[in-house]
Amino acid sequence: MRKTYIGELEEVVLLTVALLYNEAYGVAITHEIKSQTGRNISISAVHATLHRLSEKGYVNSRMGGATAERGGRRKRFFTVTPAGSRILHDIQQTREQLWQQIPAQALQWKML
Amino acid sequence: MPKNQNPPRWTDRLLENFCAPHLLEEVQGDLQELYGEWRWEYGEQRANWLYLWHTIKFFRPFVIRRNHTIRPLNQSAMFKNYFKVGVRNILKYRVFSFINVFGLAVAMSVCMLIILMLADQRSYDQFHTKKDQIYRVLSHAKGSAIPNATSPFPLAATLPEYTTVEEATHLVPGAGGDATYGERSVEVRGFFGDSSFFNVFSFDLVEGDKREALSQPNAMVITRERAEALFGNEEAIGKRVEFANRGLRLLKFDFVSDPGTNPVDWGSFTITGVIDLTQYKSHIKFDMLISAVSLPALHHQEKVTDLTNNWRHYSQCYTYALLKPESNEVDLTTLLNTLVADKYADFEELVGLKLVPQSLDDIAVGQFAGNPLSLRLPIEAYYFLGFLALIILLSAGLNYTNLSVARALTRAKEIGVRKVTGAKRKDVIYQFLSESVLTVLFALGLAYLLLTLVKSAFMGLWANQYLDFDLQGDALVYFAFLGLAILIGLLAGAYPALHLSRYTPVRVLKNLSSEKPGKLGVRKMLSISQFVISLFFIVTSLLVYHQFRHYLDFEYGFDSENLVNIPLQGNDYQQLYRELSSVPEVSTISASAYIPATAMSLGSTRVRKAGNEPNEADPAFERMSVDTSFISNLGLRLVAGRNLRDEGDSNRKIVVNEAAVQALGYEYPSDILGELLEIGAYEESMEVVGVLEDFKFQTPVMEDGIGPLLFRYQPEQFSYLNVKIAAGDVAGTLAKLSAAWQRVDPVHPFQYQFFDDQLVKVNQWLGDLVAIIGFIAALAIIIACLGLLGMATYTAERRTKEVGIRKVLGAGEFNLALLLSRGFLTTLAVSVALGAPLSYFINNLWLQNFPNRVDFGVAMISGGSLVLLVLGLLTIGSQTLRVAQRNPVDTLRNE
Repeated sequence: MRKTYIGELEEVVLLTVALLYNEAYGVAITHEIKSQTGRNISISAVHATLHRLSEKGYVNSRMGGATAERGGRRKRFFTVTPAGSRILHDIQQTREQLWQQIPAQALQWKML
Repeated sequence: MPKNQNPPRWTDRLLENFCAPHLLEEVQGDLQELYGEWRWEYGEQRANWLYLWHTIKFFRPFVIRRNHTIRPLNQSAMFKNYFKVGVRNILKYRVFSFINVFGLAVAMSVCMLIILMLADQRSYDQFHTKKDQIYRVLSHAKGSAIPNATSPFPLAATLPEYTTVEEATHLVPGAGGDATYGERSVEVRGFFGDSSFFNVFSFDLVEGDKREALSQPNAMVITRERAEALFGNEEAIGKRVEFANRGLRLLKFDFVSDPGTNPVDWGSFTITGVIDLTQYKSHIKFDMLISAVSLPALHHQEKVTDLTNNWRHYSQCYTYALLKPESNEVDLTTLLNTLVADKYADFEELVGLKLVPQSLDDIAVGQFAGNPLSLRLPIEAYYFLGFLALIILLSAGLNYTNLSVARALTRAKEIGVRKVTGAKRKDVIYQFLSESVLTVLFALGLAYLLLTLVKSAFMGLWANQYLDFDLQGDALVYFAFLGLAILIGLLAGAYPALHLSRYTPVRVLKNLSSEKPGKLGVRKMLSISQFVISLFFIVTSLLVYHQFRHYLDFEYGFDSENLVNIPLQGNDYQQLYRELSSVPEVSTISASAYIPATAMSLGSTRVRKAGNEPNEADPAFERMSVDTSFISNLGLRLVAGRNLRDEGDSNRKIVVNEAAVQALGYEYPSDILGELLEIGAYEESMEVVGVLEDFKFQTPVMEDGIGPLLFRYQPEQFSYLNVKIAAGDVAGTLAKLSAAWQRVDPVHPFQYQFFDDQLVKVNQWLGDLVAIIGFIAALAIIIACLGLLGMATYTAERRTKEVGIRKVLGAGEFNLALLLSRGFLTTLAVSVALGAPLSYFINNLWLQNFPNRVDFGVAMISGGSLVLLVLGLLTIGSQTLRVAQRNPVDTLRNE
C-alpha cells in the first residue's frame, strides 16, 4: 500500500483530536489549537480538515447527546483510528530519525 | 451562558439553504456555540457579523449540498412535460391564448420599436477612435431652461493651453451657397473647420490627405456626393471652385424655404479632400468644410464677422475638446468653470453663463440642446415614448396575470395531481413560469411581424423626415428583444405561478368549489386600473386632436388663400417682381422679410417713446420688413392712419399693430399716429403713420394672444415674394411662374410654398403627437377590452349550467345576461367614475400652460367615456348574451 501523506494542518488537527480524547468536536478542537499553538483557525477550516481526515480513514466519528447550549443540536465527536495512530507514529519516527542525523554544526549558526 | 441569544435567523437560513443536510446539525451547532462565546466577548453587533462571516466561510465543496445526481435527468424530462402541457394548453384555450399572445405582442412591438430607435441613436459617433475622450462644449445661459449646443469662438484656441485638453477643434457655421466649377453649380452648406478636426474625429477622406486638407487658406473638403455633382467622374483633388455664399443654413424644415441672402463672392477654393459622409453615422453633417485659415481674409473683406476674440457671442460655433487620456469630464468641467470666471468677469449681461461638457454619447441620446448641429430626438422624448410603451406593456401583462389566475379552477386538478405524484411547490412554480415564457415567446414571434407595421407607421410621422432613423437592428438588438420577452414572461407569470402553486392537493382534489377563482378584489382592481388608463388616453388623444384641429383652423386674422410664397434666393426683388407680374394669373404681389406665423423672426427689439430713457419695462416689439402692398395682399386692415409708402431713403415711417398701441400706453389707435418712437434695433427714431388691426404673426404654440409688432419698409431685408394667384389651374400658373423665375435666375431651381400648406406644416408636430397618443389610446383600449372579453368568456362559460337551470325555471334572456354582466358593469362604471375626473385634472395640468388652447370640458370627457362604455358593453354583451341564448337542453344534457 502506498503511504499516505498528511498536511501540516491535518497533522495538528489529528494530534489535537488525539489529545482531547473522546471530547474532540469542532469548537473544542478550534479552542485547543488556539491555546496550544496560538493559531487562529476558523471553524470552517477545522471542519474541512476533519472531513479530509475521515475520508483518509484517520478519524472516526460518532454523534453525542443533545445539548442546551447549541440550541439542542448534537455534537459530532471524533476519535483517532488505528490508521491515524499509525500515521502519527510514523511522522514522529521520521522526524526523530531526521533530527538525529543532523550534524551538530549544521543548525548551530542559526542560533547566533 | 444566558438563553435567548440566538444568531440572526436569516443567516441560519442561508446556511440551511446551501449546507448538505447530513452536515447541517454539527456545523450549525458549532457555529451557534461559537456565536454564544463571541456575543459574550464582543457584544451582539460584532457577533452577528462574525457569525455571518464564518457562515460564508463554510461555502466549501464538501459542505455544499450535492444532490444533482438525481435532479438533472428528472428536470429535463419535466421541462419537456411542462413544454408539452404548455403548448397543449395554449392550443386548447384558443381565445385566451389569442388574447394573451396578441396583447403581449402589440405591447412588445412598441417596446421593440423604442429599443430599435435607441440602438440606432446609440450607434452614432461610435467610430471615433478616441470617442470616450471627446466632449462638446455647451453654453448654458442663466435663466435658460436648455443649454445651447454652441459655444464662444475663441474657446477652441484657448482650451489646448491647459493640461487637461489634448486638442480642440471647432466647426463654425455660416457657409452655405453655390460652388461653381465651369458650367456646373451646386448648392453646398457647411462649416469652417480647422486642421484639428481630423485629429479629434476619425473621419477619413476618400481622396486627399487629411493631415493637410484644412491647413491652407482657401482649401475646401467636399462630400463625395457633391464632388460627383460638380466634377462628374473627374478627379476632384486640386480643382478650383468659385464659392458664392448665400447664407444658407444647415437645418432645413419643410414649412419654410431658406430664402438665402444676396450672393457674396468668397473667391476661389481648392478642393483638398473628398469625404464620404454616408459611411459614417455621426451627428456632424455637412456638404463641405472650408479651412478655418481662410477666415482672416474674409474678415478683412468684411464678408464674415470677425469673432476671433469675441467671447460674448456663444451661438456661432460648435467646439469639441479632445481630452488627454488621463483626464476626465470632471477635469474639463473644472477647467471650463475657471475659464468662465476668467473671461466673463466683465460681461454683466452674461453673468451666470456656464460652459458645460457633453460627451459624444450624450449628443447621440441626451438632453435637448438649442441651436443643434443636426436634429436628434432628445432623451425626454424617449422617456415619454418609453413611459407610454411601459403602460401598454403593463396592461397586457396584467391581462395575462388576471386571466391565468381567474382560470385557476381549470388548472386546480392538474396541480393537485402533480403534487400528489411528488411535485414540490417549486416544480409547480417552474411549470407556470415556463408556460408564461412560452406564451411570451409566441407573442415575440407575432410582435416581430407587427413591428414591421409599427415601424412603417412610425417612419411616416412628420418628424421623421428630420430624424434620419435607421431601424434595422443588429444581433445585439435581437438579443435584447429575446431578453425583454423572457423578462416579461417571468414577470407576468410570477403572480399566477406563486398563487396557483400554493394549492394543497387535498383541498383541491376533494372539494373544488372551496377554491374561489382568485381574489376578486385584486382582479377587479387590476381591471379597473386598465380601464382608467384607457379612458385617460382616449380623452387625451381627443383633446390633442381637437387642439391640433384648432391650430389647423386657426384664425390668424390674415388671408393666406391662394398665396404662394417664393424665396428670393438672393435675386433682386424688383426684377423678379416685374417678371412674375407678367404672368396673367397673378393678381397681386408683395414682398416681405419673412413669412408670418411660420416660426420665423427678425428678432424682437425694445421700443420706447422718443425722449424717454431706456427702461427694463419697455415693451419688446417683433419687427417685420414689408413692401407697400403687403398689407392689402394679406387682407390686413388698417384701423387708423395710412399704409407705408415707398419714400426712398427717408422712410422713417412705421406701421404698428393695436397691441403695440396698448403696450405703449395709448388709449386709441389714432392717438399714436404721428408719434416718434425710439427703436432699439434702428439708429433713428421712427414715426408711426398707421395702425393695423391685430393679427396673429406667431405660430399658435409660441404665444398666447398677440404681442406688439411693427412694419417698416426696408427693401434690402426682403427675402420672399408673396404672390396671390387666381384659383383654378394652379399647376399651369405654377409652370408659368417657374418659367418667369428661369428668366431671372437660370441657376437656382424655382422654389415655392403655398402659404396654406406652410401654416399646416408648421403645426404638424402636433399631428405627430395626435398620432402617437391616439395609437397608444387605441392599444390601451384594445388590450383592456381583450382582458374584459377573456374574463367575460370565462365567467359565462363557468356558469352555463347555472344559466341553463335558471332558464328552465323561467328566467328571461335579458335578465340572465344582466346577471352575468353585473360584475363587469360595476367595473366599467367605477372606471369611468375614477377615470373621468382623473383625465380631466391631469390633462388640465399641461393644458393650462398651452397657448391658444381649446375648450376642454364635459363634452370631451363624456365623449371619451362614451367610447369606453360602448366598447366595454359590446365586449361583455357578446359573451353574456351568447351564453344566455343557449338552449338549456344542450347545456344540461350531460354532466
